[in-house]
Amino acid sequence: MPMLNMSVNGKPVAVEIESNEYLASVLRYRLGLTGTKIGCDEAECGACTVLVNGMSVDSCIYPALKAQGASVLTIEGLAGTWTDGREDDRVGAVARPRPELGDHAAGDHEGAPLHPLQSQFIQQGAVQCGFCTPGVLMQSKDLLDHNPNPTDEDIKVALKDTFCRCGCYVSIMNAIKSAAKEIQGREGREGREGNEGIPNLPKTKTPLNVIGKPLPRQDAVAKVTGAAKYTDDYAFPEMLWGATLRAKYPHAKILNIETSKAQALPGVHAVLTHADVPGSKNHGLIFNDWPVLCYDKVRYQGDAVALVAADTREIAQRALDLISVEYAELPVVDDPVDALNPETIIVNDGAGHGNLLKHIHVEKGDVEKGFAEADVIVENEYHSPFYEHAFLEPECSIGRVLENGRIEVIVGSQIPYEDRRQIAAALDVPEAQVRVRGALIGGGFGGKEDIAAQIHVALLAKATGRPVKMLYSRHESLLFHPKRHATIIRVKTGAKRDGTLIASQATIYGDSGAYASLGDKVMTRAATHAAGPYNIPNVKIDCYAMYTNNPPAGAFRGFGVTQSCFAVESNMDELAPKLNIDPFELRRKNALTIGRTTSTGQIVRESAGLLECIRLVELEVRSWKLEVGKDAPSNIQHPTSKLGVSRRLSKTPDSAAARRTRARQRSKCLKMERLKCVRARRKSDRACRRF
Amino acid sequence: MKFFDHYHLPMTVNEALELLAQYDGRARVVAGGTDLLVDAQAEYYAGERPHYDALVDVTRIAGANQIHKQDGACPEQSEWIVIGCGVTHTQIVESRLIRKRATALAEACAVIGGPQVRNVATLCGNIAHALPAADGTVALMAMDAEVEVSSYQLSVVSNQSSVVSNQSSVVSNQSSVVSNQWYALSTLFKGPGKSAVDSTRELITAIRFRPLGAGEGSAFARVMRPQGVALPILGMAVRVETRDRRLEHVAISAGPVAPIPFRAKRTEGFLRGKILDDTVLQQAAQILVNEAQPRTSAHRATKEYRFELLPTLLKQTLRAAMERAVV
Repeated sequence: MPMLNMSVNGKPVAVEIESNEYLASVLRYRLGLTGTKIGCDEAECGACTVLVNGMSVDSCIYPALKAQGASVLTIEGLAGTWTDGREDDRVGAVARPRPELGDHAAGDHEGAPLHPLQSQFIQQGAVQCGFCTPGVLMQSKDLLDHNPNPTDEDIKVALKDTFCRCGCYVSIMNAIKSAAKEIQGREGREGREGNEGIPNLPKTKTPLNVIGKPLPRQDAVAKVTGAAKYTDDYAFPEMLWGATLRAKYPHAKILNIETSKAQALPGVHAVLTHADVPGSKNHGLIFNDWPVLCYDKVRYQGDAVALVAADTREIAQRALDLISVEYAELPVVDDPVDALNPETIIVNDGAGHGNLLKHIHVEKGDVEKGFAEADVIVENEYHSPFYEHAFLEPECSIGRVLENGRIEVIVGSQIPYEDRRQIAAALDVPEAQVRVRGALIGGGFGGKEDIAAQIHVALLAKATGRPVKMLYSRHESLLFHPKRHATIIRVKTGAKRDGTLIASQATIYGDSGAYASLGDKVMTRAATHAAGPYNIPNVKIDCYAMYTNNPPAGAFRGFGVTQSCFAVESNMDELAPKLNIDPFELRRKNALTIGRTTSTGQIVRESAGLLECIRLVELEVRSWKLEVGKDAPSNIQHPTSKLGVSRRLSKTPDSAAARRTRARQRSKCLKMERLKCVRARRKSDRACRRF
Repeated sequence: MKFFDHYHLPMTVNEALELLAQYDGRARVVAGGTDLLVDAQAEYYAGERPHYDALVDVTRIAGANQIHKQDGACPEQSEWIVIGCGVTHTQIVESRLIRKRATALAEACAVIGGPQVRNVATLCGNIAHALPAADGTVALMAMDAEVEVSSYQLSVVSNQSSVVSNQSSVVSNQSSVVSNQWYALSTLFKGPGKSAVDSTRELITAIRFRPLGAGEGSAFARVMRPQGVALPILGMAVRVETRDRRLEHVAISAGPVAPIPFRAKRTEGFLRGKILDDTVLQQAAQILVNEAQPRTSAHRATKEYRFELLPTLLKQTLRAAMERAVV
């Protein structure tokens, strides 16, 4: 193995590596500098950004030997560049003992001065899930090194390939600008005043002793210094790497699985199939319809068919190629409307009614009568696609058998207790025998609620007696995890000449994919919100959540409401000109206010801020200056841009618990989102970029 | 997923060629690797199993990371700008020489990828990848660039007639003959992603072109998806030579409008000798639309949209190049 000599964070490093390793993996897995993250592994997301000889590079595809003799700066060394020649022990992460589980929020920088970029990221609230933060900080460092006084445009250009999926870009830009000022103003100054790390937040009206006071984010320092630990940042002695064989077809019977060749590959410690699942063959959050490892058939291409644990990731991947699975292909169902046809092949019978996962029906008043009374009726069909969460941290789980025989799974999961239940069921052990430890989550947005590799690593750890880590590649992550439901929504809205909404009818087909996930609940939300946040006496909604051979659909921010909102509000925008009423006025006129009743029969008793919301949005929209056309938002003259408004009202059953939840989320509960402009991307790119 | 076993960093062209010869077709030249390594990964996920015994990194070859001005061998061309095979896009964007005397190239290189990619990716790698939409390639086509290919054999590049000048041979320490030949850039493309240069046996060591002089100007523009980091929907580069506002010489290249990088010869011919005004521009745009043959690509744009963009970009680049030429 060749020797790689380089300087890392100012210290010489000599490390034996494989010739084909990349810099990110050398830093992370050989030097223990896990602050450098791997998000996409293909030079798109920038999470792996480090500086090589002062230039930012994507270390995930930077051959490590390319850094031979170079000087490398990682997030762990960023603070050290600020404290100038000061002897810096932080760079010695190589020698630093591995952090104990659970201290991922503490970090080891207590009291040590941070680089202005780091302190400003905390100060400006630019640190959220923290997974992108090291990469963004290093790219920002590169920017400020070359351009000490960047404009907004300079920052945007510099961060073009450095993503923050939590969407903190405004805060990030503010932080970079503040840091630039701080750096310029600092020359000659000795040290800096202690930074308490309290973000600049708007003051609450009446701060109490505890509530209402801005406090430093607990894990912010760890997140800006690279000390924060996500699942892949943990390592254990003797740890093996796991890999998953995914389905070859979206829909096929499994006739035979042959694993002997894979088992014989040197370095392979276990190859598992459905026959090795001792307990429940299926898992699922609501319906137990998702095979731990497929046994009768595969239902989408992300399905897991077999597992391997091996000494290295490479060997595990090679072993997958040696597993042969005999399939008999079945017809593929790729459309939720098709899926409902009784003649269509059944993909999954998880809920007991064939491809129909759930039919949700909402009715209020008499919709036929309502439309008969309407002066104007608008009816349209809207299609919304699958959306990908694109959390920057791909799924990762580590399983190990503890000394007392319990199984421990480390995972950045949104519902660890549900994980525990499902792992225990699959392993056929009491829940008390399973311990799920939550690592930091590098973005979830609903996409980390389902079981990914949690059960698989537990099975492999049990089979091998050694810790096993499974880290999905971005490709695998995209293939496997549930998405936002693709929907087909037919909406019919009827109004009186004066703009009073009199009837609304919607039919929704939600593509819930191969497995239920949270599809039932998500589509229930879509249905209950399909009349919009409006007071309509006659409503009829039918929503069909369907099984298909597409990727499963589940939780995603907005939870089904975004799709309905898109359809309903688009219809409102169509309706307004037909009634010759301003779109804001039309919405104001019909807004749900206290005392009115929702389509599900809930009487609104509190927290109805829609009118205020419309007012604020209108203020902002009217202030936009469009190059072409005038009088926004009734401006329809612009060739490629139109203005529309969208909003979301969260409706929950009117129980005591729901009321408490609503009270807690008062500010969030009623939220208006604006759809800045619906634009055709046809004409010139310049017209598009204006927005 | 690892696609190669060994990684070499030769210090000379000879050493690089020797390594390639030793691996006998199983090794490949790499520079920044930002295309090659990402593509290999994509192929892996598509079910293929790409593999090279070794990658031969040419960025540490002595002098390879330099941009310099050189006197030309041909008497009628007084000077060249020469860009070595280790020169990154960032170096080009930051080079005052390029910005002033090959503006279109600096503009093209500034929009490739993001900063992390531009800091590593090389211009020579960009042309070796042979994509008709590659921004750097589009700009170089308008600059009538030439490419130096080094190999152990003579005339490995199929078209002998494309050799333009400057053939030289040296004897390596293994007594193999190293040939360095300059080819017109336009002759090195065989199809989308297919280069006439065999990266397992020969290497592109440099690019050169005639710098802009007095009365000359160039410009590059492109349209892509607003947040895109991948290939453009359409890119265009223009180089003009003017005398008293009259177009003496025009070079227009665009991509992707054909399987290989494209020069709009008929449009160029039409514009020669003309004074640029709205009518001329409109006529030129019509000719351009007639001679270009864009197609619909699955992820980027339809051919109709590309047709619609051609006149827009032509207007934009021609006007910008003219302004720069006249100043």
